[in-house]
Parts: sequence; structure tokens; C-alpha cells
Amino acid sequence: MALTLTCPVCGKRNGYEFRYGGEDKGPKPDGFGLTPDAWCEYVHMNRCVAGIQKEWWCHKDGCGVWFTTHRDTLKNLEVEASS
Amino acid sequence: MLDRHKPLWGKPPQLKKSYDAVIIGGGLHGLATAYFLARHHGMQNIAILEKRYIGFGGAGRNTAIVRANQRTQANVPLYKEALDLWPVLTKELDYNLMFFNCGNLNLLHSEAAVSAARMAIASAQFQGVESHLIDAKTCKEMMPALNIAEDITYPIFGAMYHPPGGIVRHDAVVWGLAKGAAKYGCHIHQQTEVTGINVENGKVVSVDTDRGTLNTPRVLLSAGGYSAAISYHMLGIKLPISVLNIQAMVTQPLKPILNHVISSGAYHAYANQTLKGEIATGAHMDAWPNYTTQTTAYYIRHQAQAITEMLPCLKGVKFMRHWSGLADMTPDMAPIMDGNNLIEGYFMNCGWGYFGFKSCTATGKYMAQFMATGECPDILKPFHLGRYAQHRLMGETAALVTYTADN
Amino acid sequence: MNRLKNKPTLRVDTAQTISFTYKKKTFKGLKGDTIASALFANGIRIFSRSLKYHRPRGLYSMDGECSNTSMEVNGIPNVNTEKVLLENGMQLKAQNVKGSPELDIMGFMGSLDRAMPAGFYYRTMHKPARIWPMALKQIRKVAGLGRISPDFRMTGEYDEIYPSADVCVLGGGPAGMAAAAAAAESGLRVILLEARPRLGGFFDYRQSEFSPGVPLHQHARELEAHLQKMPNIRVFKHTSMVGAYSNNLITAFQKGDENDDFEERYLEIRAHSVVVATGCIERPLLFENNERPGVMQIACAHRLTNTYGILPGKRAVFSIAHDLGIEAAVDLFDAGLDIAAVADIRQDAPNESLVAELAQRKIPYLSGWLALSAHGSPFKKVVLTTLQGTFEKKFECDLLVASAGMTPVTGPLSMAQAELSFDHHTGFFLPRSLPAGLFAAGRIMGLNDPQAIEASGRIAGLSAAAASGKTSETALSATRATLAGRPKADRGNNLVMAPVKGRKTFICFDEDTTVKNIKQALSMGFDATELIKRFTAAGTGPGQGGIPGHNLPLLVAQHHTDTGTRTRPTTVRAPLVPTLMATYAGTNHDMSKQTPMHASQKQEGGIMRRIGVWNRARYFSDDLSCRREIENVRTNVGMLDATTLGKFRIYGPDALKALQRVYVGNMSKTPQGKIKYSAMCNEDGCIIDDGVVAQKGENDYYFTTSTARAGTTVEWIRFHTRYEGWDFNMVNLTDAFGVINLAGPRAREVLAAISDADISNEAFPFAAYREFTVNGSIPVRVMRLGFVGELSYELHVPSSWMETLWEALAEAGKPFGIANFGLEAQNVLRMEKGHLIIGSESEQRTTLHDVGLGGLWDRNKKGTDTVGVVALEQTEQQDKRLKLAGFKMKNTDKPPKDGSIVVDDRIRGHVCIARYSHVLQEVVGMALVEDPLNEIGHELHIYEDECQGQLVSATVVPMPFYDPKGERLRS
Repeated sequence: MALTLTCPVCGKRNGYEFRYGGEDKGPKPDGFGLTPDAWCEYVHMNRCVAGIQKEWWCHKDGCGVWFTTHRDTLKNLEVEASS
Repeated sequence: MLDRHKPLWGKPPQLKKSYDAVIIGGGLHGLATAYFLARHHGMQNIAILEKRYIGFGGAGRNTAIVRANQRTQANVPLYKEALDLWPVLTKELDYNLMFFNCGNLNLLHSEAAVSAARMAIASAQFQGVESHLIDAKTCKEMMPALNIAEDITYPIFGAMYHPPGGIVRHDAVVWGLAKGAAKYGCHIHQQTEVTGINVENGKVVSVDTDRGTLNTPRVLLSAGGYSAAISYHMLGIKLPISVLNIQAMVTQPLKPILNHVISSGAYHAYANQTLKGEIATGAHMDAWPNYTTQTTAYYIRHQAQAITEMLPCLKGVKFMRHWSGLADMTPDMAPIMDGNNLIEGYFMNCGWGYFGFKSCTATGKYMAQFMATGECPDILKPFHLGRYAQHRLMGETAALVTYTADN
Repeated sequence: MNRLKNKPTLRVDTAQTISFTYKKKTFKGLKGDTIASALFANGIRIFSRSLKYHRPRGLYSMDGECSNTSMEVNGIPNVNTEKVLLENGMQLKAQNVKGSPELDIMGFMGSLDRAMPAGFYYRTMHKPARIWPMALKQIRKVAGLGRISPDFRMTGEYDEIYPSADVCVLGGGPAGMAAAAAAAESGLRVILLEARPRLGGFFDYRQSEFSPGVPLHQHARELEAHLQKMPNIRVFKHTSMVGAYSNNLITAFQKGDENDDFEERYLEIRAHSVVVATGCIERPLLFENNERPGVMQIACAHRLTNTYGILPGKRAVFSIAHDLGIEAAVDLFDAGLDIAAVADIRQDAPNESLVAELAQRKIPYLSGWLALSAHGSPFKKVVLTTLQGTFEKKFECDLLVASAGMTPVTGPLSMAQAELSFDHHTGFFLPRSLPAGLFAAGRIMGLNDPQAIEASGRIAGLSAAAASGKTSETALSATRATLAGRPKADRGNNLVMAPVKGRKTFICFDEDTTVKNIKQALSMGFDATELIKRFTAAGTGPGQGGIPGHNLPLLVAQHHTDTGTRTRPTTVRAPLVPTLMATYAGTNHDMSKQTPMHASQKQEGGIMRRIGVWNRARYFSDDLSCRREIENVRTNVGMLDATTLGKFRIYGPDALKALQRVYVGNMSKTPQGKIKYSAMCNEDGCIIDDGVVAQKGENDYYFTTSTARAGTTVEWIRFHTRYEGWDFNMVNLTDAFGVINLAGPRAREVLAAISDADISNEAFPFAAYREFTVNGSIPVRVMRLGFVGELSYELHVPSSWMETLWEALAEAGKPFGIANFGLEAQNVLRMEKGHLIIGSESEQRTTLHDVGLGGLWDRNKKGTDTVGVVALEQTEQQDKRLKLAGFKMKNTDKPPKDGSIVVDDRIRGHVCIARYSHVLQEVVGMALVEDPLNEIGHELHIYEDECQGQLVSATVVPMPFYDPKGERLRS
């Protein structure tokens, strides 16, 4: 453990039950006419925030749901969205 | 008594108002770049800025393993040169980097792994790097502690044996390079945090620190795992990097038992015996970004399970220290070395993941050439940032990298 | 052996002896002894030799802070004999000695210290370069303490448990027991961990009074009895806490005793709150020869006497800085020890009544004095001095009890991310702020008064109860009042070392690091404690920071007085106690999956291989070319267990949209009764999977993936639709269905023999999907596919029917020559047919175009944002990519080995697979090569490993090699 995450279905669980799904970048931009740079910006580029970020997780060893949560990357702890 | 020894990297220097180059990060890559800039290119008015103390980051937390049996032809020459530089630098720096040329055994646990290894071996041989495929029996002869029985999770089929590799005393490299850089006049400022990078008209002009602003036309970002965050927070430049924690641990010291470095992809583990006698082992990483360098209970258990399947006698040996460092992973497991393109005078050397140690000497040499001349050396060209947008991943890893769902 | 008897504090049973072997002799100890106490009782004083200088080392503390008393026990190296209970028949061996510990021929190393200043390895031994390999050999030889045989095999069971609790209390001393009791009385579920084999902490061996008429040891036993009555407390004794992680995860290991069915047990405890009551150890006093056998800490001498009944010497000098030292002197004098003097670093305010006790016994008390140096081996003399070193006194003695005072065991607090800061009053690192759910109590807070310690324990227990919502505010404030009425934290001794230069003053025993070495490091510019640790190795040995962890930061801070740097504790890391890999590995079960046909496949000669989580048959004979298996499929009919294929149902109103999102093809063109072959790419346009989809009903699809993707496909589809809120469901049916690939020209006849369905080529053509029953009752889903290039049926059957169906087919197939084929035969068959396996003929960076499957991408599919199509569009016209090419070898029947590379002046690609094809009678294969080398007719130069530059040649030819028109699979 160490990290715990709160699954919207199963509640607070051991972090190793989950799969990280990246920073929340919003829905994919419309593919039509996307430049290579714009495509790369969405697909590969990360902010690598040192602090609180909104991110995607999948409860892979549980109910399987994808959800977003906030986590402090400097503490490796899930935090309330408002903090 | 205190006067008998001179400070290895000089007395703490005064912070000057202006430098010809400012290097962010007092790790291996930063120190090596400074050393080569000063020694080979006559650029000696250089500041190395380190937030904590030199060697705090990946420099002091790595596997200490060196090798040049990478998969692709873009990588092999760089790592080969890095390997060749250990004895050279030991002499140049007059500091024993303790290169233990014990050779590396990369264990193979399936027919498919043997084929994949053969490609790396053929590539190495073609490029003049010694590497051989050996069978399980030979592995056992070379490493009597190895379990080549078939009743383990991943039985050993053979190994990729790479005689020129080994281990280097990583801390000695930090201190030796610091000594060398300082000798040529470079300023190493520890406890100095960079707070901003200032750009005017598309050119770097200065760097802000918690001790004042330094004017400079050149900045190198080589802050290891912190590079991507610095890049985004200070310049708004995003990089294709995920910063993960990679863990390692050592046992209590033992009389010699492992005469080679071993590693295993299937078990996701490496092990080698340090000159002090500790078995150093690791390789696991939490698959999500975090900057804590915290270890986890989960992985020390996994490591014990993996390592004792391959080396069952080690069940009777105790772990005594477990640590973690940052690995800045890119989608193709190859670094980003670039400069002068987004911003004039802005250079970056990051995304090394867990390969930063074994490459630091050659990287320092060529990044120094790049910064001094403004021209990217051919050997570094494949590592440019633009490759991701151009759909030209480097293929250092054959398999899909699975740390995020979106690759 | 002469043990003190009739002491109420004794923890050994003088009636029960235990035999053990050391130096080829049999010794006897008592039940309750540790290995170290038994050796000491037998007159053993030198337990080991030190790492670098081979200095003699003996019993110093009693809790294993260093490797002084580490030995090889029953073949296991580095066993800390202070912490392991003696067992019958134990075989002991001293470590790092040439000869015996008493007479070590490497002992001369101790005189070489001038030649080995801090970091001397780095500054020497590389000039000239050729001496380094030889020096390296010597370094390796002398390094390391214990030895393990490559043939060593651990015996016994290693257990693991994962309990949870409302509160986990670390430390079973008075504070810990009080905390546990208070928490349990409030209704919490409590786990209490104690490293020693017994509870009681520093009350356990002390005779002074807790309250009038009640000695401390008696009070400790009463507390323990109280705990035992409470069912909601689980006590783990002889259990060392080794890790504290965020969200209050605690790891520990327990040593099994004779009643346990395990040697050691790993514990991983999830607790709502954690109380740290780990107490104190003693800070080593720094003076010349401070680690010589005969020098020991207060509690060590005290416990030897009171717990084990062993008087540690005949005539002693004490050099202490804490009341516990005076108390021990009085106690040991009464037990029969002659005490020459008690030197006390403190010049003010020691406990008057304790000093009076010394006077009563005519023991000289020297306030403001301390040990300067120890002499003789065996130990015979100590020199005391005043704080400034102005005066000296010499004493003949065989024991020096030396201690610079107490220091808290803050490891667990640091690991749990508590913020510690240096407190000048106590000389302790005290917690300034604690993370949520973490509490600290007892001596760790600087308390020394027994009742104050117990009250602080109760407060921690009640606070944990409050954190769990079981508040008892009145109890909490009453206990706070009790604590307020007791003496506050004692003033501690801040002095770091005697007035010596430090050449033989050891700050770290394990690494033979002296104070002089630390000074050398400082003068070389290593100013941060962590850098000094790395440079001098202090605190990096088997005992980690146990001995140096407390003095090093103080020493460094002294150096930095001018710069005003804050005194910081050194970093502590898990495991806080060295822990066997066997214990961490635990039961370590290999978890893998077997198909319903596993036993049958093995019985029929299948050579099994681990493929991901599965076990599968790769060969069915010793002929690894699989010629018979292959030819039988080409001429008769074969059966392959393909159960590991990923199998899924997706249904619901938006099921089709989800399929459109991930498959590059247009999945709306999947009429019922037909299958559609397609591929999935990632956003880079790189191929990650291929498989078939069948529509079973309205908004209801059944689809397959490769084995490797079986575990992640649901996740993948959900990920790529996560912003949409689409309404669909997925079920992973991989384990629910078995799959048989029935392939070969006679496949239809075999299937027809057990099925009434019309499976004629007209009624059930290639690429069709049918559901029917076979053998009267077995429901099957059948696909006409052709991976191996022959007429073939992929039969999907509920797993429970799998064996029945298999046997029925095997029986029905007998007249047609049916036989098993394995993965390698399939590998060759599909290669002849030009079919690729993702991961074999593709890399991470290989796009759909690169493998020649660009045709699967339906570019007219609009509005579906299919994953990867932007990259497919942008890479379509790129040159110099690695592309898949089929080739035939020139002039040879010997295939190049898989993984050989394709070269000209540089590397241009590699051979993915190449085999001699018996049906084609030539070598064919596939390679990934940089275009334009992939164009038909190009010559490829192949470089095999160990070829010494002898290249072989091949020509690029069209694929498929076998049955290019696909007549056989459609037949």
C-alpha cells in the first residue's frame, strides 16, 4: 500500500489494485486536420506537476471503473478536490 | 587536522552575477557536461546549481550497472563510448571510479526472449561490442548460486553475456567529476535552488535562484527526475515524460558470491554484488508519477520473491536498506537531448528513465560539444524532442511500455 | 556456569539447559538465553572481528544495533545473536576471522589506519591503472562479513499475515502497554508489536519502585496481565517493526518460537492509527577504543545481570550521563560487582537520592568526568578525564560501562513522515508535527519518570480512540492532568565526545569509521551528513544507523556551529531491522493459469511453456522443428488448445460505438453469421491487437483478442470511451470458454462426425460464424478461420464442456489421423501463410501500415474518433520506416536464427522468424527492414550472432508463401 485511492464504486482501497491512466487532459481533440504537434501535445506531452493534479485511474483489480481523482505527487497521497 | 585535506571540489564559491553557462542540477549529467565544457571547450565560467547537495538524486540512487548492450544502433555507440570512458576518466580526474569489469548476464526465460536477445547480441557484435548468447549450463558454471532448475516460475534458458560491462562506484563518479569541474574553475553551488528561467526575444537571458539572479546566454536543464516539472513550471514547456519512483535495496555485506551482474526481464530484477559485498537489487517501479522517493512494502517483498527464485541461497541473507529514486520515463525508453530549438540557448538533457548513470560520461562529453559549438553532434541527433510528433519512436524497448493506459 | 539466582527479574530458567556448538565444542546455555547471553555466560568475550581493521568486538548493547555479535548460525550469516533465542543444537561460527576471534591473524590491519584515511580507495589504487584489477580482487576478498554457500537452502516455513486494526502500537514497554490498554478499553481493536521476546521494556529488568512497594518489573508484569485479559488486543512478541508507510501501513516480522509452525512470519498491518512507543536506546560515548570488548552500555550490563543472571565483570568503571547509569551501578554492586568509580558527564542536578546510594556503598562518584580511553585486550584499564581533558585518573578494571545518555528510537516516526527537530533541553530529536493518525508516547518524548511514561502512553491510546470516533474526552483530560503533575522531560547530555583526537574513536563500529575519518571528510568538503555517510560509509553497514545515527548529526552540527545549519537527523530507511529475504518472500506461490486441457496435453507429451499467465504446450515431441505436427495439419487434421485467446461479450445500446472507437475497421459492417477480422492500434497508430468480431444479436457482439491482451482489453475500451458516458457492458469470457482450433484438410469430416449441423462449405463458408450443438448436447460457437492456412474451425465451448468436446473430436478424428499440434508448429504454419503474431513481427513502434495491414483501416469511417487514426494518416506516406517483408533464403537450407540482423553499412532491420519449410522445401521467413529494402526482389544481407562477418543472403518475396490464393482455407 502506502497509496490508497477512493474508487467511486468500491471505496478506499489499496493503490496497487488500480491502474494509472495519465493526467486528465480532457476529451481528445477532433482528429480531423490535427497537426502532428497538436496530436503529440495531447497524446504524449505531460505537465508532470509537482503538486496536486487531476488524473485518471482504473480499479483494475476491482470493479473496473475508470474515474478521476486528485493526488499530490509530492506526497503520493490522494487529496480532496478542493484542497 | 582540518587543514590537512583540501576540499575536493574547492571552497564554496561566491555566486557571480553572470556565467557563460548555467547548468541546472548537480548530478552526473550536469557535472559531466560542466567538466567537458571546461576541459575540452575552454568554457570555464560555468555555474552548476544544485538545490540540495551534489549527487542527491539519481546519481546516488542508481543501479551502478554499466553496459553497452542496448537494442538499437542509435543507442549502442553512445553507451559504448560511455563504457570506454570509465578508465579514461579515472586517470584524467585522478580519482578512482572503481570500475569493476565483472560482465553482465542478462537472463533469458523463454524461446522468444532468446530470439530478442540474439537481435541485441548481433547488433552489438556488428557494432564492435562484445556480447554473446550462452546456455543455462554455462550460466550455472559462471554463477554457481544460480538456480537453473525447471520448476521455478520462469526457468532459465540462457543468458546474454556482455563481458565489457560491470559496475562503477556511482558516488565516486559524482565526486570525481565535481573535483574535475572545480579544478577548471567551474562553480558548484549547492543548496541553491533555481526559481525561474528568463527568456527575452526567444533567447535565454538569465536564471533566477533563491540566492539571486545569474545572467547567462546558455542554460542546460539536466535535473534528472525533476527536469520535466522544472520545464513545465518555469517555461511552460511540456515534455513526453512520466516521473516514476524506482526502487532498489541492498543486503548486508557478504563475502563474494556473485561474480557478475545479473538481470532478468521476466522477473523484473537485477542483482549485483558491490565491492563492499552487499547484494544490490531492484528494478520495480510504481506505475504512477510521484516525486516522493518513498519505498513501498509491496516491492521489497516482490524483490525478495523474484531474487530468491533465481538465487535461492539468498533466502538466508538479510535486506538492510531500501531506497527509491526518480526515473523520468519517455514513451520509447530513450532520452531527450536537444537544444537551441524552442528557445535559443536553452538545452535539455533528460528523460533518461533508469539509464542515466551508465550514459553520463558520454552524454556529458557530447552535450558539452553541443553547448559550446551550438551544433548538435551526430551521435545525439536521434534523441531530439521532435521525434514524438514525427512518429519516430526509437525502439529501444521492443515491447509496449505499459505504465500508462494511453500508449 | 555461575548464574545469579533468586532474582525476581530473571528471564532464564536455570533448571533447563540447552546445548549448542561453537568452535567444535559443546556449550550449555539456559532456556530463555539469547545466543549472545549464553556465549557471554560461557566466558566468550570476543564475538567477531571488525570489517576493515579486524578489531576484536564483543557484547556492547543488547538490541542488535551493530554487527559486533553477528555470527553464522546454522549456515545463515550475519545472525544478530543478541536478538535470537538459543535453541538446542545450534551451530555457531564466528565471522570475518582468520584463525579465531581471539587470535585473528588479520589483526595487524588495525595498525594500518594511517594508511587508510576516509575515502582512501578513491584516491589510491588507480595509479598506475594496471594495479587496479589486482587491488580490486583484494578489496573483494576482504570486504563483506558473513559468507553464504551457493548451495545453501533455507529450511522451515515462512509465514505471512495481513491483519488490520484500529490502532497498532509499536513497542511493548510501559508506554506501549498503557496505550494499548487505554485504546482497548475504549473499544478499539489493538495490535501491539514488541521486538523483544517479552513485554515490559525498560521496566522489565529494573528493581526500583513504580509506586511504594511495587518494583518496576512487578508493575510491568501486572500491566501485561491486564492486557492479556482483553480480547481486543493482539500481542505479537519477538516481532520487529521494519517499515512504516503512508496511510499507516506497518510491516514487521515475528520470530517463531518453539510452539509456532513457522521460522519467521511477515506481518503487514493496516491500522487506522499508529502509536509509536519505541522508547530509547543509549547514545554511544565517543572516546579512544570505545568499542573494545569489555566496554558496554548501561542497559547491556544491567540486563545481563538482572535478566540473564550473568555478572558482566569483576571490577568495573562506569562513565555515564543518565540516572539509569547510577541506578545500574547500585544494582550491579549489590549483585556482587566491584565498582571502582562512577564518572558522570553531568555536573548538575543528578538525582540526589541515587548519588546518596552510591555514597552508602562507598563507590566514588566523579561529577564532570568521563572515559578518555580504554586499554588492553583482554580489557584491563580505563583512563578517565574531566570534560576539558585537564585531569586524568587511571583505573584497573575488566569492565567499562559507558554511555553518553539516552537517544530516542525515532526510526518509525521518521519513516512515517513525522517531522523531527532537535531539542536542546533533552538532546533528542523530538516530533514537531505528526501526520494524521500517528501518535508518540513514552521515553521517545524525553520522559523518564515511570508514571509520566505510563500516562503519556494512556494519552496516546485515548487519542487514537478519539481519532476512531470513540472519544473519551473526560478520560483524556484526566490523564493529561496526571501527566502534568509528573516530572517533565529530563535535561539530556549534549556532549558528543571525550576530549580526544579520535584516531581510535569509533563512531560507526560496522564500518570501522572513526571520528578522525569524519573530520577528514568534513575537511574535504563533504559537509552534508548524507554525503559524509556515503564518503566514510558510517551508518551504511549491517546495523545501519544503529550506532552512528545519533552521534553523527551532532558531530556534524558541531562542525557547522559557525554556519548555523540546523541539526538534522540522518535518513532512516526500511527495513529498520535487517530482515531475511526468506521472510519477505513469504510463502511465494507461483500463480499461473491452466486450461481445461492442461493435464491431457501434458499426458500426450506436450512440452509446456509459461506464456504470460498461462501454461501452454509448445512442442509435442523432442523434434523441436515439429515436422510431424506441421505435416499432419497440412495433410490430415490437427487440434490445438487455443483457450488462452481473449474472449469477450460487449452489449448494450452503444456497444457498436465502443467497437468503432477501438477497431480500425468499420465494425458496423458485421452482419450476423459472419465474422470480421480487424485490428486495434494505440494512439501512435502502432498495432497492439488483432482479432475477430461476431454479431450475436442486436447490440450484442462476441469478439476475440490475442492472448496477451486478454487481461487488458476491457480496461482499454473503457479508457478510450471514458469521457463519453456511453451505455454498454463488457464481460471477459476468456476463462469461461475453451477454444479448440481444428485445422487441416480433413477438419470438416471430423466435425461432421459428431455434429448434425450442416457444415458444408456452402452452408458454413470461410469467415462465417455459427452456433450449434455437437454430440447431441455440447453448445459450441464456431468460426471458420484460417490462421494456419488450412480449412479450420475455431470451436468455442463452455469451459465445463471443453474436455468432453476435445475427447469427442479426438475419437472422431482417429480415422482421419488427428493429432495434437503445439505453439511452435502453429508458429511455422502461420508464418508459411504470411500471418503475423503481434510482438513477434512487430515492435512497439510498428504501425498498422508497417506490417502491411493498412488495408484494415477504414478511412471512410466518420465521426468515431477511432484510436490511432490520426497517426495512421500522418505516417502513411513516411519513408525509412521498418516494414515487414517476407523473404526466401538464397542457396541454403539453413534458416538464419530468429533475431539475426539485416545489415549493409549499418543495421537495417532484423529477422523476426525464419524456418525451413518442409511443404515449400526452402527457407522462408519474415523480417522488419527499413524501406525501401522491403520491396520485392531486394537482396537482404543477414548477420547472425557469432558469424564473424560471414553474411548470408535472402531475397524479398511476396507473402503468403503458402497457398497464396487462399484456396485451402476456403475449401
